[in-house]
Amino acid sequence: MITRRTLMRALMAAGLAVSVGSFATAAEPVRIGFAIAKTGPFVIASDPQMKAYELWKEQVNARGGLNVGGTKRMIEFVSYDDQSKPEQAVRLYEKLITSDKVDLLIAPWGTPFHIAIAPVLEKHKFPVVGATAASVRLRELKPGYIWFTTSAIPDKMAAELTKLCVENKVKSVSVINNVLPFTKEFRTFLDPKLKEAGITIKTSAEYPPDVKDMTAMLTQIKQAAPDAVLALSYPGDSALYAKQAKELSVNAPIQFIAIGPTEAFFAQAMGKAANGIITIGHWMPRDEWKGSKAFDAAYRKKYNEAPDYLDSSLAYISLEVLEQAVAKAGLDREKLRATIAADTFDTINGKIKFDGVQNTITPTAFLQFQNGNLQLVWPTGFASAKVQQKKGWD
Amino acid sequence: MAEALLSGQLLFSTLVIGSVYALVALGLNLVYGTLRLLNVAHGDLVMLGAYGAFWLFTLGGWSPLLALPVLALGGAVFGYLTYRGLFRRMLQGDGAPQRLEANSLLLFFGLSILFQNLAAHYFTVTPRAYQYLDQVWRWGEVAMTANRLLVLVVASGLCLLVVLFLRFQVTGLALQAVIQRREAAQIVGVNVERVQALSFAVGFGSAAVAGGLVSMLEQFSPFSGFPFTIAAFVVVILGGLGNVFAGMVAALLLAMIETYGVALTSPTYRSILLYGTFVLALLLFPRGLLGRRQLR
Repeated sequence: MITRRTLMRALMAAGLAVSVGSFATAAEPVRIGFAIAKTGPFVIASDPQMKAYELWKEQVNARGGLNVGGTKRMIEFVSYDDQSKPEQAVRLYEKLITSDKVDLLIAPWGTPFHIAIAPVLEKHKFPVVGATAASVRLRELKPGYIWFTTSAIPDKMAAELTKLCVENKVKSVSVINNVLPFTKEFRTFLDPKLKEAGITIKTSAEYPPDVKDMTAMLTQIKQAAPDAVLALSYPGDSALYAKQAKELSVNAPIQFIAIGPTEAFFAQAMGKAANGIITIGHWMPRDEWKGSKAFDAAYRKKYNEAPDYLDSSLAYISLEVLEQAVAKAGLDREKLRATIAADTFDTINGKIKFDGVQNTITPTAFLQFQNGNLQLVWPTGFASAKVQQKKGWD
Repeated sequence: MAEALLSGQLLFSTLVIGSVYALVALGLNLVYGTLRLLNVAHGDLVMLGAYGAFWLFTLGGWSPLLALPVLALGGAVFGYLTYRGLFRRMLQGDGAPQRLEANSLLLFFGLSILFQNLAAHYFTVTPRAYQYLDQVWRWGEVAMTANRLLVLVVASGLCLLVVLFLRFQVTGLALQAVIQRREAAQIVGVNVERVQALSFAVGFGSAAVAGGLVSMLEQFSPFSGFPFTIAAFVVVILGGLGNVFAGMVAALLLAMIETYGVALTSPTYRSILLYGTFVLALLLFPRGLLGRRQLR
């Protein structure tokens, strides 16, 4: 008797046969696994990374596939939703390794997720080039199977931001920070550095992520009239700060907004008023970095918006490192690990080399909006333009 | 600090935030009042309204101000259709309203997830924002961004219109009658059916307009609706379910906590103050701040 179940099975078997048949002629695709937030509170934050992944896959497949030790193989993603939960990411990376048996792994989104999966990678001796993670806690991870491309680690940023202030003759600052982990960590390193440099903290406040109005905080800052305002924000409150600082004419010549300004919405919301705002970032499209302008253009073409100078570029850089390592070492995990750990890689962010878990070449840097574009303004030598004072909000 | 408290700048912020909360809560309150349906998808309608204004502006070149009547109409038609298509049939039969009251939470929750995911699918999760009327005007000591002033005027104007409508229009009075005594209203000849459809239309329409207004002020994404649902719930429960006028007073109170409360303490106390007041108000005024007397 033909039941619906047997019919379905027959159809599925037929479908499988067809799909297997169609691949039999070409080289097997390389299966690359990852878990990322596709639902839950981090879905917006993880989006620029996801977009960089998709773009890279499309580009590599258009070039005929990924160079695996000399053979070109098409890329296939095996991706899961970690539901914005690190413990879920742990389970999924375990599953990707043991049950899906993927050929390569790429990074999840966010610091806690990288930290959570590190022991799994260690256990299975599976190398992963990390992308969007930044915390001093990364250095506590056992070096070996995970590396981080970012140079925006809070303690170094605190030191560099202080230097930037000193160089621009800042004697007093107002500091506000979102209480979420990254900005809080940034803050704990920033205050001592500022004091060391003899910079007075005139006003100081912390605010919750669901802040709706900053009038009270900003009125205080306006009265204190500091030389610099350091707003350690997350994307959600970055434009709120800028809009209300504009309304109240908070006119400090140096204004720093930590996370948010590199995302496309910020420039759309602020327009010309964004000019002069300094933010975190160590990437921009520039001639010196081969492929950076092409990446920027391809991203804009595919998604009709600018890449996030922070997260999209970090994700893309991590893929470039992996791609070059695989071209040399193939898919053997030990060889791959040794290559990533020892080699120097050419990326859209210039040369990258790891020492332990960290990228040792890219310096901790800052971007500034100048004439509507983000320019690297810090540190000198790495920068593409000089720091400009913010001249009002018009 | 004292200077800041008296400067008028905080008052302006309070009024802007308060008027938005009032407008958002208004729609929730009307639908709850007439049908005893708790629309947990209300904030998502605000989100959809924001997208409506955004697309009309960026793709169609429509001024967001011109888009507002279109959003109102679109929201109202959507509300009417939702009522006709989803709820009317469920409201028929014995004891149906009581049964639906419990089910409506699940139903609206489903709608909320549906709206969010449809928006995420078609509009992507990228946060959206645009610039509109963002020059700053000064009036004495008070600095006002033009779009915030516009939001204040439009949102409070609409709230006032609805209050006048409820007080002086026959249809408005019928709506109030249904809110207060559903069966009695039916007996004296109020067309409950029509009133319910109307409350859906006004409720959805006002949410869409609120969304259009909010889109001028802040960036939004498919998941931006939920905080508005929460704020509207707090406002509606503070004011008393179904009590539209008291809801507006509660919206102002909520906004005062966001600005003055925070100014007097610290921004980190925002949630403590907000929900502390909420719990305290529920203990002291279990029927809402102005009780039910206002409406009798």
